[in-house]
Amino acid sequence: MQPTVDRSPTPHFLGRESVPDLVAMAEVADENFRLAVEASPTGIVMADETGRIVLVNAEIERLFGYQREELIGRPIDMLIPECLGDAHPGFRSAFTENPARRGMGTGRDLSGLRKDGSEFPVEVELNPITTRNGLVVLSVIVDISERKRIGAERGTGDEQFRLVVEACPSGMIIVDTAGIIKFVNAEIERLFGYPRSELIGQPVEVLMPLRFRHRHPGHRDDFAAHPGTRPQGARRDIYGLRKDGSEFPIDVGLTPVKTHDGMAVLGVVADLSERKRAQEELDRQTRELQRSNAELEQFAYVAAHDLQEPLRMVASYTELLSQRYQGKLDEKADKYIHYAVDGARRMQRLIDDLLAYSRVTSQGKPLLPTQSAAVFAEVVETMHKRIEESGAELVCGALPVVNADQMQLAQLLQNLIGNAIKFRSETPPRIHVEAREHGREWVFSVADNGIGIDMQNAERVFQMFQRLHERGRYEGNGIGLAIAKRIVERHHGRIWVESQPGKGTTFYFTLPKTKDPQPEASKQAAISPSPVPPSEAGRIAPDMKVRQ
Amino acid sequence: MKAISVLLVEDNPADADLTRETLEAGKLHIDLSVAIDGEQALQMLRSDRAMPDLILLDLNLPRKGGRQILMEIRADARLRHIPVVILTSSDAEKDVAQSYASGANCYITKPVDLWGFQRIVAAVEDFWFGVVKLPASGSVSPEPVAPAEGAERAHC
Repeated sequence: MQPTVDRSPTPHFLGRESVPDLVAMAEVADENFRLAVEASPTGIVMADETGRIVLVNAEIERLFGYQREELIGRPIDMLIPECLGDAHPGFRSAFTENPARRGMGTGRDLSGLRKDGSEFPVEVELNPITTRNGLVVLSVIVDISERKRIGAERGTGDEQFRLVVEACPSGMIIVDTAGIIKFVNAEIERLFGYPRSELIGQPVEVLMPLRFRHRHPGHRDDFAAHPGTRPQGARRDIYGLRKDGSEFPIDVGLTPVKTHDGMAVLGVVADLSERKRAQEELDRQTRELQRSNAELEQFAYVAAHDLQEPLRMVASYTELLSQRYQGKLDEKADKYIHYAVDGARRMQRLIDDLLAYSRVTSQGKPLLPTQSAAVFAEVVETMHKRIEESGAELVCGALPVVNADQMQLAQLLQNLIGNAIKFRSETPPRIHVEAREHGREWVFSVADNGIGIDMQNAERVFQMFQRLHERGRYEGNGIGLAIAKRIVERHHGRIWVESQPGKGTTFYFTLPKTKDPQPEASKQAAISPSPVPPSEAGRIAPDMKVRQ
Repeated sequence: MKAISVLLVEDNPADADLTRETLEAGKLHIDLSVAIDGEQALQMLRSDRAMPDLILLDLNLPRKGGRQILMEIRADARLRHIPVVILTSSDAEKDVAQSYASGANCYITKPVDLWGFQRIVAAVEDFWFGVVKLPASGSVSPEPVAPAEGAERAHC
């Protein structure tokens, strides 16, 4: 039954016919009160127990676009959009059973439905009022469109921030000082296989393998006591535990952050599985390369070594033939035996050289601080006969302490000095050995005044069995410089040559400086006792001449 | 004068002949027996034949390696007094150390050239049959000797 409508233009309560008690109420109500209700900037609507509108004020008319006579006596659900309206009668009866002043739909977005079908956001407060005729509900309705708009504008920054955090390819997690997870981003969900609803409120330890969990609270306390950014990569071998129980290597960077709930820690989590796999693959390849190198090395050594046995027989028996039958057969036999003996000897030298070359790496000793001056002195001592015979003059500059395999450094110097003597010109050899500091290394040089080499061949001289001169003119197989190169490379240095045919040749090689500053001469003597007198230890006096 | 007897354990006949040739060229009259592997060597040593005055032992042998033979000789009360000279092409430090540890009296790496080899053989002859006093054949005490005491051997 439609209530009759009082079309009075003045502000007043309406619907008195259907709710006679309200008539009485209205009658006793003060005019000021009515004016106040009518002028209220918030919408006021009153409904009876059955949900029918019994009273509205001007603001309700304005908000919803209805004339009040279109509303009185109608169900209040007409002011609510359908999607909410369906559920509304249920909410209403629940409210009637347990009436109390409350905000409506707290935490929910409520909307009002205008006459023209449009919706607008509202905030509603419900006040139950018991009358003689039963319960009525006074609803106060505020249009919050404006507030929402402002809020949305203000929220744009937050929204952008949220999008960034969500899209970030690193996992982000915020943990409070009690170790409880407060926030995770999408990447954390993906990495660990949990929806965030299962993580928020959980102790952060759920994301760690069991074996690390017991230690973590201690780490957390340490961090709380000394907060500071712990960059990624600061620790190694951290693993995450997925929901399915599998583990994966992670890297975690920690940053203390201040939240409105107090201090917390932002953890940035990166999945290292891929990186670790790549690293392992690289390690595997490196090992494989080392193994194959070592195998090749071993092969060369064994081949050379095992060749020696049959060769020893060939050489020994041809020599025995030569001893027993030289001059007892004809001239040709003597010549053939000579060829066989000579061939076997040369092959023997080649094998010896190969073995020597191979031993540079296979039998090298650890690199220790070594006085190169003392090593030089030893070399001169060893070579004194050759030096003497050739009439060579050796001049030695200051030589430093270097990290070296003493035997190999000696062999290196001997090979270079030997080379200088061997390839001398008509004039007596003059050989100058010195070392200069250059950045983080020492550059040694062995300079001679010999026949020199064409710089076109500068690289070839370091190759095995490469001879620049015809056989017979100079002894040797061309292994000396190859061994020199190998020794230098084993010492993490470089070797090269500069030369001018007819003028002379200078071989340069570098050795890295020792980590410690160059010790005093006395200390050097203590490190590596040498035959050089203490006064000359370490650095041989500049331009010490070794004239034989 | 009684001939000096030497047992050469060498699987390579060319090598054995070379040693024989070289010993024969020397001043001493040496009765050389050759065993081509370890089994044969131990068999010969444990037979009724007279004991050799010296054993020249190669390391790299088929069936039973030189070091194994050496250890068996040193473990055998009847044989342990016989000086053993390791004569091998190996110059590996490991082989040298292990040979002495197993009771070798002397370790020689065969020189690769004939003259070197001849020099070495002459030196061995000179030392073991000129310088050193060896126990007379048949005078060996059957009393077991503790291995540690047995270490009182001449070393070259």
